[in-house]
Amino acid sequence: MVYEVFARKARGEPLRHIGNLNAPDDELARVYAFNTYDEEKWFDMWIAPRSSLVEVFNVDRPAAENA
Amino acid sequence: MAESTAAASAAIDEKTRTALRDLILILADSKRLLGTRYASWILGAPELETGIACASMAQDEWGHGRLLYALLKDFGDDVDNLEHARAANEYRSIEVLDSAPTSWAELVALNSLVDPALTLQLEALRTSAYVPVRQRVGKLLDEEHFHSAHGIAWLRRMAKSGAEGRAAVTEAVNAVLPIILRWFGPATASKALLDAGITDASGDELRARYIARVSPVLSEIGIDATTFAKPDFNGFDDATRRVSNEGPDQATIAKVRGDKNRAFLMD
Repeated sequence: MVYEVFARKARGEPLRHIGNLNAPDDELARVYAFNTYDEEKWFDMWIAPRSSLVEVFNVDRPAAENA
Repeated sequence: MAESTAAASAAIDEKTRTALRDLILILADSKRLLGTRYASWILGAPELETGIACASMAQDEWGHGRLLYALLKDFGDDVDNLEHARAANEYRSIEVLDSAPTSWAELVALNSLVDPALTLQLEALRTSAYVPVRQRVGKLLDEEHFHSAHGIAWLRRMAKSGAEGRAAVTEAVNAVLPIILRWFGPATASKALLDAGITDASGDELRARYIARVSPVLSEIGIDATTFAKPDFNGFDDATRRVSNEGPDQATIAKVRGDKNRAFLMD
């Protein structure tokens, strides 16, 4: 399962997408996220299965299809 | 319990000072060896993310080992000698790290069970009367948080993976668990450190804390940690926390000392 990883540098900053990873479940995904994206000092970090993300719109598509 | 603190080891009485040096060396050597075990799986772990986790844990453990060796300067030790010149039988590392794990299940058992044992022993130094340790232990513990989480997540995953995975991980756990529980030592061994306020727990107390910590996940795979709650201390050396005095195997020692590239060791 692919998980998307989000983090922010400091309190109050917007959450930023920083990458993704493969993991079988939330438990291992948390550990992998912590270890894989530890190059910077983050304020907080979040993960979500890619399948749980719902697209709102995409400018590459005609407006009718986005609605 | 003594309320006074010691900024340098010279302020501690001889017997307690020796026990403290023993403990720091036991932790330093165990972390050096554990890091080496993680490093061997950076390539060949079941998935890329796991290899990254092993690299990260190896880096943490080696860093902690180095920091702990450096503390021994205050005890008159030559740190360079400790890191690069000792014979195998002078190592104090926990016995379950003496030879390389031969399977991923064995590495998972070390990751989920040795890591929290070393962490619990460090936690017992958090309010230590020996100031140099107290000042550093917080940073070490912060970095440990995700280590055993990785091991435990993998333990669960293997246990759920089917009969074969479950049998492999059960066998690996049963091989190391009794030795780890013995490693905390008898109650009497840690008394000098406890009385001086250098640690906050006896061997018995640490063993009880450890059982409380690992029991939830072990019970999920049908292992009762309390079975091993009363270790056999026959032949156990308090100063090394080992029964065998042979130390890690030669391949391991050559790696941790950096024998192959000795010529490049900088002064």
